[in-house]
Amino acid sequence: MVETTTETTEAETPGQLASAASSDVIILLNHVNKWFGEFHVLRDINLSITRGERIVVCGPSGSGKSTLIRCINRLEEHQEGDIIVDGMELGSDLKNLDQIRSEVGMVFQSFNLFPHLTVLENLTLAPIWVRKVPKIEANEAAMAYLERVKIPEQADKYPGQLSGGQQQRVAIARSLCMNPKIMLFDEPTSALDPEMIKEVLEVMVELAATGMTMIVVTHEMGFAKTVADRVIFMDFGEIIEVNEPHQFFNNPQSDRTKLFLSQILHN
Amino acid sequence: MATSDTSLVKSQPKSSVSFFYDERVRNFFYQTITAGTFAWLVWYLFTNTAHNLEVRGMNSGFGFLFQTAGFDTDFKLIEYTVGTGTYGRIFFVGVLNTLFVSSIAIVLSTVIGFFVGVLRLSTNWLISLLALTYVEILRNVPLLIQIIFWYLGVFALLPKVKQSADFLGIAFLNNRGLYVPSPVPGDLFWMTMTAFVVAVVAAFMLRRWARRRQEQTGQQFPAFWAGIGIIVTLTGVVYLATGMPLSWDIAALQGFNYQGGFALPPSFLALLVSLTIYHSAHMAEAVRAGILSVSKGQTEAANAIGLKPGKVMALVIIPQAMLAIVPPMISTWMNVVKNSSLAVAIGYSDVVALFMQTSLNQSGYAIEIVAITMLFYMTISLTISFFMNIYNKRVQLRER
Amino acid sequence: MAEAIHTGEIRPPPTVQGTWFAWLRDNLFSSWVNTLLTFGALYIIYFAVSGVWAWGITNAVWEAENRRVCFDINPDGACWAGVLAWFDNFIWGRYPRGEMWRINLGALLIVVWMVPIWLPGVKDKIYVGFSTVFLYPFLGFFLFAGGEKGLFLQVMLSLAIVVLIGNTLNGYHGVRSGRSLPEVVIAGLGMKASSDKVQRKTLLAIFAAAFALVFWAQMGWVLVSVEWNLWGGLFLTLVISGIGIAFALPGGIVLAMGRRSQLPVIRILCTGFIEVFRSVPLITILFMATTMFPLFLPEGFTLNKLVQVIVAVCLFNACYMAEVVRAGLQAIPRGQYEAAMAMGLGYWKMMGLIIMPQALKFMIPNIVGNFIGLLKDTTLVSIIGLFDVLNMLKAVSQDVPWRGLHKEPLVVGAALFFVICFAMSKYSRHLEETLGGGTQR
Repeated sequence: MVETTTETTEAETPGQLASAASSDVIILLNHVNKWFGEFHVLRDINLSITRGERIVVCGPSGSGKSTLIRCINRLEEHQEGDIIVDGMELGSDLKNLDQIRSEVGMVFQSFNLFPHLTVLENLTLAPIWVRKVPKIEANEAAMAYLERVKIPEQADKYPGQLSGGQQQRVAIARSLCMNPKIMLFDEPTSALDPEMIKEVLEVMVELAATGMTMIVVTHEMGFAKTVADRVIFMDFGEIIEVNEPHQFFNNPQSDRTKLFLSQILHN
Repeated sequence: MATSDTSLVKSQPKSSVSFFYDERVRNFFYQTITAGTFAWLVWYLFTNTAHNLEVRGMNSGFGFLFQTAGFDTDFKLIEYTVGTGTYGRIFFVGVLNTLFVSSIAIVLSTVIGFFVGVLRLSTNWLISLLALTYVEILRNVPLLIQIIFWYLGVFALLPKVKQSADFLGIAFLNNRGLYVPSPVPGDLFWMTMTAFVVAVVAAFMLRRWARRRQEQTGQQFPAFWAGIGIIVTLTGVVYLATGMPLSWDIAALQGFNYQGGFALPPSFLALLVSLTIYHSAHMAEAVRAGILSVSKGQTEAANAIGLKPGKVMALVIIPQAMLAIVPPMISTWMNVVKNSSLAVAIGYSDVVALFMQTSLNQSGYAIEIVAITMLFYMTISLTISFFMNIYNKRVQLRER
Repeated sequence: MAEAIHTGEIRPPPTVQGTWFAWLRDNLFSSWVNTLLTFGALYIIYFAVSGVWAWGITNAVWEAENRRVCFDINPDGACWAGVLAWFDNFIWGRYPRGEMWRINLGALLIVVWMVPIWLPGVKDKIYVGFSTVFLYPFLGFFLFAGGEKGLFLQVMLSLAIVVLIGNTLNGYHGVRSGRSLPEVVIAGLGMKASSDKVQRKTLLAIFAAAFALVFWAQMGWVLVSVEWNLWGGLFLTLVISGIGIAFALPGGIVLAMGRRSQLPVIRILCTGFIEVFRSVPLITILFMATTMFPLFLPEGFTLNKLVQVIVAVCLFNACYMAEVVRAGLQAIPRGQYEAAMAMGLGYWKMMGLIIMPQALKFMIPNIVGNFIGLLKDTTLVSIIGLFDVLNMLKAVSQDVPWRGLHKEPLVVGAALFFVICFAMSKYSRHLEETLGGGTQR
């Protein structure tokens, strides 16, 4: 019982198909279903995301939005359906999996920086050990990213010595060091004190401007309005509504979307 | 609805997914290798053992349990006579001896442990220091040294039989052991036992009734003391009514030795004392850690809502402290049972000494005996941890 | 009109605070009950201490030929003379007196080897630990057992000596200038500007040269062979517990990781193994080892009792260590695993680079506790006839001149263990505070 609306204008018509093929669908979810034991957490998800697109996923807690993006880099395994990332199918093929994971970066709600390594070491760990980049090059690239997220002076500090906002920016830089094609954000600002949310959102806006494909699960509707190409609303494991931001916020189609918007926009 | 057009997929069709990188293939491979290696190892040991047993003319099989064991034991709780007693029976003698000393040690060490643990938290610095010294000395000296010390150093210095220490004329202590009166139940004693069981059940039901009454009417009822009263009165009345069918066999000096009564050999006493005080130290630490783990705010909040100190302890502090105390306490109990096996060092006839040492040496059925003994300990340990898991699940603080 | 704000003067508190008098009052005499308890405790302490002092010091006999003489001199005191006569045996067992220097040298060498772990400024301390665990046993074996050296032993021995020397120099430079040995050597040769590859090759060449030199030197070293059944006393206790702990840590890590595995076959095997060994007393494992290991081995292949015991102790302790490791792994938040996986690190790199380094910090106090327990449990080998320190203590009373001398050796043994174990547990508590606090966010 999926109430899809304007999403049907996306990849349906032949014209759209052709343009989709040429503009490169980078993530394709096809009839994806997932269960946690008896609980049906993702119900018949169909979604295609093109290269360079910025998607915001929102919905009440327990709607499956985090599970959805965690399936994309296989932190969770889907039981039914296909997930195709950059042309490679996500399944039990380990080689594909390693490849996919090095192309998809993830930023977590609780940062998950490695506390026993310095900021710089956090950034260079994967390039050195996964892409086998020499240490000097890795350090240079890491410093460049630290400058981009505006905290180059913290390079030799340990994560525990940084504020929440700084830690999250380091986490973003850490993902960027692998030169991903896609960046997934799982409620990146939910664990931050209000005064630090802005600095992280600024980094994300700047990242979006460079043409990075981004999927962001968040409650920050301001970000959705300014940056997103499409906003997806999920509830009870289904995609209820997908639309570009202006339509989504001013002209929601489904009742459930309307209810959700009234709840969060009141704050 | 999004299209399911897989023509956009750039990779090869499904069938040529690289075999060795398939997660399922790898998992299967690892598991088969492990299982295979393990199976080969078991087979290898098995064939070696079979061959070696044959070469040495040793037998195998469990039939030996029905053969007579040719030795006696100085302490037994059930009937056993040399010449007719079987190995199987000796095993049970050993098991009962192990459980006998372990259960008394568990009870005593828990009581002493709670006492010392509370002392550790005393506001009096000297008392707390004394308790600390007690705990630290007992924990840092190996248990075996303590057992041997008690056995050789203390119990060997007990008075000779003729100069036994006399406790109210019913118990006697000398270098042959401690002689306590043993109960001799008469014909109608079973009535008293039944009355006791019935009274205990009644006391529990009374508690339930009192609690329900409190929920509905708010009135409190001293169910605990009432319950104790019921148990004592009912059992006592039946006991008296049936003519006090319990006599006591008191040991009496006859010739060079005491006869009658219940004789507890010095090895038993030494083992009991050392097990008790050694584990009481561990218990004290668990109690102390458990009480400290309850945050101060709890006492403050409980005081703020007007609970009296006694009720604060009973309703707020102790239930929460018990959460932290019970797991290490139960693991200490298991250690008591396991450490009772050190009886073999001082000659107390527990299951290791009787079965794993003497019986094994006499009969030669090494594998069977070792397996049975280890199975015994495993059963006890696993039973205890099974119940502890159930307890843990039930009392875990429900969190979101 | 603004009123002058009248601030009160700063005055000392009305009652005496913070002096020893106040402390006494609060801690010992705060109430009638407490005062009574204090006096009661003081009486107990006086009674105990004076009794022990009288027995152990005032009335004790320090020199005597045998127990009878002790008794004649002073029957109320401890006969320390017997303990002193046997002291060598307590520590070194029945090792030939002329060769005891080998044990002392071995002890000194392991201390020298491990000291850099506690020195400030030394780099790469974890390699010190690794090298001790994997290389010292060869050096130790050669020193303690002596005898013929096979080629394998010679190679490992030379390797161990070279690493020891390198380790010591590394520690020295670390303390002195904060630099590691390779850095000092490269700088000394004036090769700082050379590429990484050239530097590495030079260091390797120096290492190989040193190795060749030591190998050539040690070929001429001959030590008298000492049979294992002469090993005894505290020496034997430390050998058994040392090998036990050295094996238990990697073994425990393997078992713990196996227990957490997703693959059912591996998980069941590891869990079963751990649960079996943890639910039975150590003495049954030792009995099993001495009665059943000979049956397990193919004909003609024998293991001496010491090796059987060591194998049993290693397996036993690995299972307890596995539980310590499991607790450490469970303390790592799931997010760390996820972040590592999301970066594409793969299982082994994730464990080695991210999870284990963090888990080890949590585990170290419990590892030390495990070692203390192992040290105490080693006394059980006396029951199966190995002459560890406890058996030596008991043997005194079997010795003809010292017949019946039970208490004094046991008291000395207890005191010895107490000092060692108490010191280590204090150290472990100190570690818990310094390590545990630092990782909290």
